[in-house]
Amino acid sequence: MAADGTTRTEKFPFGIASVGLGEVDRQVPIDEPPPLAPNAELAVIGKPIPRQNGRAKVTGATRFTVDVTLPGMLYGKILRSPLPHAEIRAIDVSAAARHPGVCAVLPVARSDDPSASVVRYIGAPVAAIAAVTMAAAEEALRLIRVDYNLLPFVVDVDKARESTAPLVHDSGSVPPGHASGFPAPTGLPLNGNVRGPAVASRGDVAQGFAQAGVVVEGEYRTQVQTHCCMEPHAIVADWRPDGLTVYMSTQFTAGVRHELAAEFGLPLSRVRVVVDGMGGGFGSKSMLSKYGRVAVALSRQAQAPVRIALDREEEQMDSGNRPGTWQRLRIGARRDGSLTAISLVGYGTAGVGLGAGVGNIAQALYACPNFETAQFDVFTNAGPGCAMRGPGNTPGAWGLEQAIDELALRLSIDPVVLRDRIDPSPVRREERRIGADRIGWQHRHAPGADPGPIKRGLGVAQSLWGANVQINSACEVRVMRDGSVEVLSGVQDIGTGIGTVLAQVVAEVFGLRPEDIAIRIGDTDFPAGPPSYGSRTTASITPPARTAAWRVLQELYREAALALNAATGDLTASAGRIFVRDEPSRGMNFGEAAARLRTDQISAVASRSDDYGGFRRRMGDAALAEQDLGGVQFAQVAVDTETGIIRVERVVAVQDCGRPINPLQIESQVQGGVLMGLSYALYENRILDQHTGRMVNPNLEQYKLAGPREAPAIDVVVLENYQGQSATDAYGIAEPSNIATAPAIANAVYNAIGVRLRSTPMTPAAVFAALGKVPSGSQ
Amino acid sequence: MVDAVSAFIGQQAAAEGSSLTALGPGAVPISLKVNGVAQTLQVEPRMTLAEALRGPLGLTGTKVACDRGACSACTVWLDGTTVCSCMTLAVEVAGRSVTTIEGLANGSQLHPVQAAFIEHDALQCGFCTPGMVMSCAALLERSPDPTAEEVQRAISGHICRCGTYPHVVAATLAAAKA
Amino acid sequence: MNSFAWASARTIAEAATAATTTVSDAMVASPDAIDGGTKSVVKAGGIDLLDLLKENLLTPGTVVSLKEVPGLDAVAEEQGGGLRIGSMATLANLAGHPVLRRFYPALADAIQGSASPQLRNVATLGGNLLQRPRCWYLRATEFHCLRKGGGHCFAISGENQYHAIFNNRPCAIVHPSTAATVLVALGASVELTNAEGSVRRLLLEDFFVAPDTDVQRENDLSAQEILTAVLLPPVPASLHMAHLRQGEKESFDWPLADVAVVLELDRDGSCKRASIVLGAAAPVPYRATAAEAVLAGKRIDESAVREAGHAALAGATPLDKNAYKLPLFEALVRRAVLKALA
Repeated sequence: MAADGTTRTEKFPFGIASVGLGEVDRQVPIDEPPPLAPNAELAVIGKPIPRQNGRAKVTGATRFTVDVTLPGMLYGKILRSPLPHAEIRAIDVSAAARHPGVCAVLPVARSDDPSASVVRYIGAPVAAIAAVTMAAAEEALRLIRVDYNLLPFVVDVDKARESTAPLVHDSGSVPPGHASGFPAPTGLPLNGNVRGPAVASRGDVAQGFAQAGVVVEGEYRTQVQTHCCMEPHAIVADWRPDGLTVYMSTQFTAGVRHELAAEFGLPLSRVRVVVDGMGGGFGSKSMLSKYGRVAVALSRQAQAPVRIALDREEEQMDSGNRPGTWQRLRIGARRDGSLTAISLVGYGTAGVGLGAGVGNIAQALYACPNFETAQFDVFTNAGPGCAMRGPGNTPGAWGLEQAIDELALRLSIDPVVLRDRIDPSPVRREERRIGADRIGWQHRHAPGADPGPIKRGLGVAQSLWGANVQINSACEVRVMRDGSVEVLSGVQDIGTGIGTVLAQVVAEVFGLRPEDIAIRIGDTDFPAGPPSYGSRTTASITPPARTAAWRVLQELYREAALALNAATGDLTASAGRIFVRDEPSRGMNFGEAAARLRTDQISAVASRSDDYGGFRRRMGDAALAEQDLGGVQFAQVAVDTETGIIRVERVVAVQDCGRPINPLQIESQVQGGVLMGLSYALYENRILDQHTGRMVNPNLEQYKLAGPREAPAIDVVVLENYQGQSATDAYGIAEPSNIATAPAIANAVYNAIGVRLRSTPMTPAAVFAALGKVPSGSQ
Repeated sequence: MVDAVSAFIGQQAAAEGSSLTALGPGAVPISLKVNGVAQTLQVEPRMTLAEALRGPLGLTGTKVACDRGACSACTVWLDGTTVCSCMTLAVEVAGRSVTTIEGLANGSQLHPVQAAFIEHDALQCGFCTPGMVMSCAALLERSPDPTAEEVQRAISGHICRCGTYPHVVAATLAAAKA
Repeated sequence: MNSFAWASARTIAEAATAATTTVSDAMVASPDAIDGGTKSVVKAGGIDLLDLLKENLLTPGTVVSLKEVPGLDAVAEEQGGGLRIGSMATLANLAGHPVLRRFYPALADAIQGSASPQLRNVATLGGNLLQRPRCWYLRATEFHCLRKGGGHCFAISGENQYHAIFNNRPCAIVHPSTAATVLVALGASVELTNAEGSVRRLLLEDFFVAPDTDVQRENDLSAQEILTAVLLPPVPASLHMAHLRQGEKESFDWPLADVAVVLELDRDGSCKRASIVLGAAAPVPYRATAAEAVLAGKRIDESAVREAGHAALAGATPLDKNAYKLPLFEALVRRAVLKALA
């Protein structure tokens, strides 16, 4: 709705371009632009434009937070608990404070405050120092004396569930929400270390199972995965009398600003958060976090800028992680494949934190009238988990998509055909059709059919992700008298290339080239942007960018119309000119129109309006769109049954993201999601030594990430799925492209060797155990 | 105490008839060439080349991601061959020639690998990119027409969390043909 | 890293004199000891040394570089037909060296497959042989393990998926050098030179030290010695060799298992002598003598290959997380024998 509530009716393209487009009527606020045509008819939207900050990145010119140095800047370092569970009897920082290089000392844990005197995982922050050099900070850290009283601890999730397990939390220390900032359901029972269940249901599951002709049941496990951002968590905090400026490797400048204002009692207008280059977040850099708080407090104390950048060990132990999970999934179906009941029990561990679920994919992906889930958090003395690329649904898909695969086998129905029967989404139907064709699904053989030690197989799996929209998103567009154009927003580019996307959207409006648009983002001095998590950036910020540009264009039209003696409604902007639509020769260059402006610059700020067809749900600053995002991935693997090595040879990823604005960047994103999913399936594992609670692989050497030689051939197809919901109709793709990969690989492995691996990572030990070549207890 | 050790070594060596002098542990001057320009800086022996580049030389294009030689983000050329600058001491490159990402382009003229990286979108967050570009450019110097597998092997020490490997290979193959 | 002084030796004598300790000895300490930085250690490529320094596993007062010592990186054919590889020769130079490629291809393969291109450009063969194990308990100061002077091996009842399947008591490390697997199979020797210029040579196999002899070091190097060369025996035309490794990933990973096979064949194609060595299996490169016996004096057919693979694992005592190495090694032994014959 426009500010005064008035709308007009517009016809939008609707449907999947490769299937055939129809139209839908929507009510568009009168101060928002007319519908965008499908990509094929557009000049720059939908084109594979090279990213506008590419040159800066390939020449090393881009400044990441770790590259920011301010005059007089101090180096901050955090002292961390060496014990997995301990009471702090005393902290003596006096020797550290006397170190000549030290300018500020901050106790974090406190022996005199019961709510802060217990550390619950190795790596938990205890105190912090700011010093003139990093070496001085490290030396001073060693001078801090802490008297710990070791308490009983537990790091194994199965052991932590036992009633006799040492307690990780007392009633006062259970965190109120997830480390990513999402509120946790309140009032859930806490029994020992087990909190929950969080329940959801529909229909009558008992009746549903009674109606089933076949029931499959399985238990699935996933490991704890760490984000491994290449740029560590980093902040430069500059506390000054007139305000606080913070440079931070963050996924959410606006959110961090709010947190800082609240935490330090400052008005929003006196807090500024800035990020230029940002070296990856994947969900771990959504909040101010403890290290951010510490840096600002040190800066305030020292009256000097303070930089804290975590080292790789700190990154691995205390910057968040994807919780590990265990789930038991039971699915009942009729002989024709239609589902009658799904029952899901899940236990997971986010260490000392909350949020270890298996998501809502089992609840939402397939048509099934009867459903129930009970999900529990199990506390362990390990670093708190947080959101990681597709939280919940990624481990959830690991279980669900294998269970559906198992069901297909039991029913002797092809897994793609089964999904055609039970999946209500026309988008995923088309994705399955395209993907099956590309991978050569028709050549799929029976499980384990290949002779010889190297056995190949094909597998399929699907992803589902809510299309999040951040309503609290705004964008400014400015046109200067010399014809230059700027887009300004606090939105941050965490590697997705949102700046280039904004340039394309605005260039399309003005009939300019993307390189004519200057992008200024990542600064809360600009209108507040959305977070870059939840795959919502594009959906949240591109409609305001187009709307703001369109409003500015109307002003330009007014000037041009006067000069051309035409009506503004007759004008159009294209190919660098503003002209009368039906008389192209009657016009002027964009620059000439700008030169006619009454003032040096004109601008408009637009914010994200509601989806034209309405949201499914609103949650504060965010909302959920009607249609979910999704994708279907097919994997081809070769399993060497003599070495236990799984090689992923090919992945076909067919995804949707509404209107794809930059297919080149989208392809990069999808390849990245597939590689992260592959790495999750085969290599990654946060390994804790059970006897001491310490992570034994807090590095990039023994925490194994897929490297260049593990990359399969990745075939990316992105549908154009028009929904007529906003000024750009564009959505995100980061998480949907990561969720299906691991189960697609697992299903391909089943097809290859005829045995199912139900735990990640699928190591040679796991393959041998599945093949009966090694007793499974001795993995 | 450490100065005493240096003196001890000097004494011992002198006793042997040679004179092995120790530098440091405080800062000592070293001269080297960086991107074709002669530089003299004060470095403690424990300072890595990566720290020297990013600190006193102000060349922050070279990134440190793991600081253990496990990810290759810090790759630079040392006398033309790729090394992990985080696993190289600044003192040991005295008198030698270092090329960093800042020194790859020829003024405003990008190296073919840099141009190809942009064209093929072989970067996302960009943090691993400088090291990756240095490796690919070095590969093309010694092997002007590599296969895709050869490119994969040449960059096999690199870790990219954003998942740019397929586009990096495509970009490098394209740059080879340019 | 701690603060240390830097010295560049110009002769072997200077280096041997300046070094006051081996790295292994320097890493033996009580958990709270601050050794005061009085020790001096030698540095070759420094890839392992820098890792250890950055983890504060040792805190030397002086680091003595071998880079300036002339001739230590030379690779020269010996008069008898063997090869002398200077200890400072880099892995990159060796992997591509025409003489290695032609006469010792299994060694070239093993070296080529190690580490990453960047590390191979700097790491030396000497450093590769002398590097400390990768055991994650050894590599963290927080675990005061047996090898560092503590009382306990954390791996035996801990996270031992990458540890030894043979001879894993009292310590379960695997030897970290892949080149060593092939070198032992080839019967290579090492040359150690001291400050006086005295030289001793011994078989590499004898240079390595088993935990039950001395759990605190992997080799017999003394502080007064510099490893100056690796000596390879001549290769008759009848010698066939192969090396295979399998990492969890192909990109830059330590091997889960690696195997070197050297076969001396008779004119009629039957096997006169076999040398089969398993790497990443035991604290020292493991001679699979039972497997060697299966092949020696025989015409190697499919059943002999299978039997050799099986015999190679005879006597293995896997720990609770590394039994998967048994079928893996069996497959690699079979495949390496076939590759050597091809």
